[in-house]
Amino acid sequence: MPEIDVALLGKTFGEQRALDDVSFTVGDGELFTLLGPSGCGKSTTLMSIAGFQTPDEGRIAVGGEQFFDASRRLNVAAERRNLGIVFQSYAVWPHMTVFDNLAFPLKVRKLSRKDVGTRVREVLELVDLAPYEQRYPHQLSGGQQQRVALGRALVYSPSVLLLDEPFSNLDAKLRERARSWVKDLQHTLGLTTIFVTHDQDEALSMSDRVLVMNGGVVQQVGTPEDVYRRPVNRFVAEFVGRVNLITGMVARYENSTAIVDAGEAVRGLRVHVEHTLLPHASLTVAVRPESLVVEPANAATYNGTNTISARVTSIAFLGDHYQYELDAGGLALTAQSPKQVDSADVKVHIPPDACAVVE
Amino acid sequence: MASVAHDTLVLPRPRRQLLPAGVLQAAVWLLVVGLIVGPFVPMLYASVRDRPLYEAGGVLTLDAYRQLFSDGAFWRAWVNTIEYASLTTAVAVAGGAAAAILVSRTDLALRRAFGRLILLPILLPPLGLVLGWIVVWGPGGYLTNLFSQRLHIGTLAIDTVPGMSLIEASRLLPVAYMTCEAALARADSSLEDAARSAGASPARVLRSVTIPMLRPALLNSATLIFTLAVASLGIPLLLGTARNIKFVSSYLYLQWTNAAQPDPATVSAGAMMLLLVATLLLLLRNRLLGAEARYVSIAGRAGRNAMLPLRALRWPLAALIALYLVFSTLIPVLGLAVMSVVVVLTPLVAPWHLLTWANWHQLATGEFHRAIVNSLEISLVGAVLATALVAIATLVAHRSRFPLRKALPFVMLYPRATPGLIVGIGFFWTYLLTWGVGSWLRGSIWGIMLAFCVRNLPFAYVVMYPTLARIGEELDRAGRAAGAGWWRTSRSIVLPLLRPAIFSAFILMFVEILCDYDPALFLVKPGNEVIGTTMLSQFIQGTVGPVAALAMVQVGVTVVVLGLGARLFKYGSSSIGVTGGHDA
Repeated sequence: MPEIDVALLGKTFGEQRALDDVSFTVGDGELFTLLGPSGCGKSTTLMSIAGFQTPDEGRIAVGGEQFFDASRRLNVAAERRNLGIVFQSYAVWPHMTVFDNLAFPLKVRKLSRKDVGTRVREVLELVDLAPYEQRYPHQLSGGQQQRVALGRALVYSPSVLLLDEPFSNLDAKLRERARSWVKDLQHTLGLTTIFVTHDQDEALSMSDRVLVMNGGVVQQVGTPEDVYRRPVNRFVAEFVGRVNLITGMVARYENSTAIVDAGEAVRGLRVHVEHTLLPHASLTVAVRPESLVVEPANAATYNGTNTISARVTSIAFLGDHYQYELDAGGLALTAQSPKQVDSADVKVHIPPDACAVVE
Repeated sequence: MASVAHDTLVLPRPRRQLLPAGVLQAAVWLLVVGLIVGPFVPMLYASVRDRPLYEAGGVLTLDAYRQLFSDGAFWRAWVNTIEYASLTTAVAVAGGAAAAILVSRTDLALRRAFGRLILLPILLPPLGLVLGWIVVWGPGGYLTNLFSQRLHIGTLAIDTVPGMSLIEASRLLPVAYMTCEAALARADSSLEDAARSAGASPARVLRSVTIPMLRPALLNSATLIFTLAVASLGIPLLLGTARNIKFVSSYLYLQWTNAAQPDPATVSAGAMMLLLVATLLLLLRNRLLGAEARYVSIAGRAGRNAMLPLRALRWPLAALIALYLVFSTLIPVLGLAVMSVVVVLTPLVAPWHLLTWANWHQLATGEFHRAIVNSLEISLVGAVLATALVAIATLVAHRSRFPLRKALPFVMLYPRATPGLIVGIGFFWTYLLTWGVGSWLRGSIWGIMLAFCVRNLPFAYVVMYPTLARIGEELDRAGRAAGAGWWRTSRSIVLPLLRPAIFSAFILMFVEILCDYDPALFLVKPGNEVIGTTMLSQFIQGTVGPVAALAMVQVGVTVVVLGLGARLFKYGSSSIGVTGGHDA
């Protein structure tokens, strides 16, 4: 039921187009992520749904109820939208105890004292904060404060949960734990959730679907696998993870495979494509570093198809893998592999289905 | 993780507020703008009418302006005023900036104590201090006589334009000090460290880095001090009138009170002109403040500040500042104190032979007693009302979506630039034109209270706004998201977080209303006197002893209230950090 429908949102700050025809739909119970660099419009979109920003154009509806419609000058006040929000700073009220923080939304809804107590304790239990109900926020750690914010957003069982970069103030270790914890909670409660982040790891690991934004424009919507493996354009390919971009020209096309020439060193690269391509069309291929297979030049595993020779210019050891900077006849490539390769001259295999054609 | 039947719980949606937030916001906006701008409308009207507003009939005319501009005395008053304000500004800004640099950037002896004490001259009652100066250094003053008759040394004549501006400068120096001190606290001292490690001597660092960095603060405080000096009435009236040196403010005041045939239109026209000048100066200052933001270096981390060593000058410079405090505060206050317990203060007879309590006994009777009771009453009630109104107006200005909110900050700062005399004239006409309510206000102390509140309301705003700006906006958004409307959010979240600032604003308003006097000069009547007006009128009539005692009461109450406020404030603000939530 609480399906979020955002249609053709537009907003201009001065000369700057902050949102440009942003449209998407979030299904019931889905964890949907808005991903993009800072200033891409993801927070503006979230705050428009919450009712703290007013777009110039477009419509927003949640669960069939219109919250905003620029053409009808309809704009439901933020406090009447009944959405749960966790802010980037958590915004835990410093002058109230944990209990009072969670009780406030219930008091606003005029619940009896007894019901407030029961419900608050129930939710404190849920967010693992039961022993802390009489503490003040400054007596809590960052992670605990975040859970107070989450509890406060859940206590009045809102139809939708909005999370604005909730993990950006946690240190790396804690962040990872908080991620899986929030994901579990969201799943258990079956809450429709919109999540804003600039961190691609976070987006990929938590989301059911990801929307990638840049400059106020939606770039791609899809599952984490989609946006990672089949980015539709350069921006998505480069923003979501590291990528090698190989620009070349289509030599031939046969059976949904394009044969691509890219300079002297890379000839006859076979690339899996979705639709027919004309010969001589120029195209860019994106390949993730971990898809490249690096082997010593004398190894015999790969020969011929999609295998090029290259020179190793540098190796970095990163704990769980090695990162190789390669020079394939003038084409710079980055490869990642758990295997250590010692020789300076190597063979690089580029699997055809690991190649995505980007705009 | 406990499993909770989340979906089964259906809570009521937050209800629509009975009174939309917009109505409250509009009401507050109208009240603030009406109180501040409103009184100038009848004044403008009075200046272009050929007869007083209380007389029927009349036509619109510019005669009053013509008459004013053709009066040579009015132009001489302007020349005096500008000379006075310029000298005041030069001395106060130079002194204040030097003090700020010494206290915050060098190893000056006793600099912590000076950092606080140096604010005293602006916090103590201005009229009382002026009376103190006159008693001690004025023509026929105690030390003046002592020096000239016993020691045969001439002293600076304080009843000349330079003399008067020196007194005004000693009172306004803290304004420059505070502005420069704040600018220095914001600017990272590593800018200076960098210059020193690049080989510059301390003096060179001062000249090439510190002072250029202070330029916006200097310009800003210079404009404010100039405006305040132009608006000043006490010193010109008490010291200038006897020597027939008139300033614009005292010219207008004397035109109104002393002329055989008072001419309200001309006085209103003069007031309009003074208001115009003050407004232009305020606008100029606003532009300078905008420029100042550009100068702010990367948010300076407070803490480790390498101090420029003064070496041999550590104590001599400290003595210089001490000397300033002695002259600006200690001697006037001591003078008043002694004056209040002697029959007459003269170098011919030692004061202890002339001791008397008669002056203090007089305070328990008649006009003096009424004035003290009235002043305390309006200070308390006025401070409560004004602080409450400004607190809500500040929220409307900075934490609402009220369409006209952007006008409020400027409007709330406006009375700071407006001469008190003009506020008084404005309210005088307004009360005359508002029938029943106006005549009730005119006949009671509450009319004076209203004028004092409006005049001093910028202080409350200036105290509250910086604290509000530090309260993260996400805190009130979280309240809205939780289902609370604007007023509920303000009441339960923002105002409680603002409490320390609201309390400081109340203390400051109390003191300022207690010490204010010039807006009341046009409103005072027998029965509704306040301390300031009584001091002024009784002093002009030649009553010195009881006036000194009255001034001591004012000084005493101010010191006690400020001291108490500082204590309580320290105690109350320690427990809560008021940032965005997490400790950033």
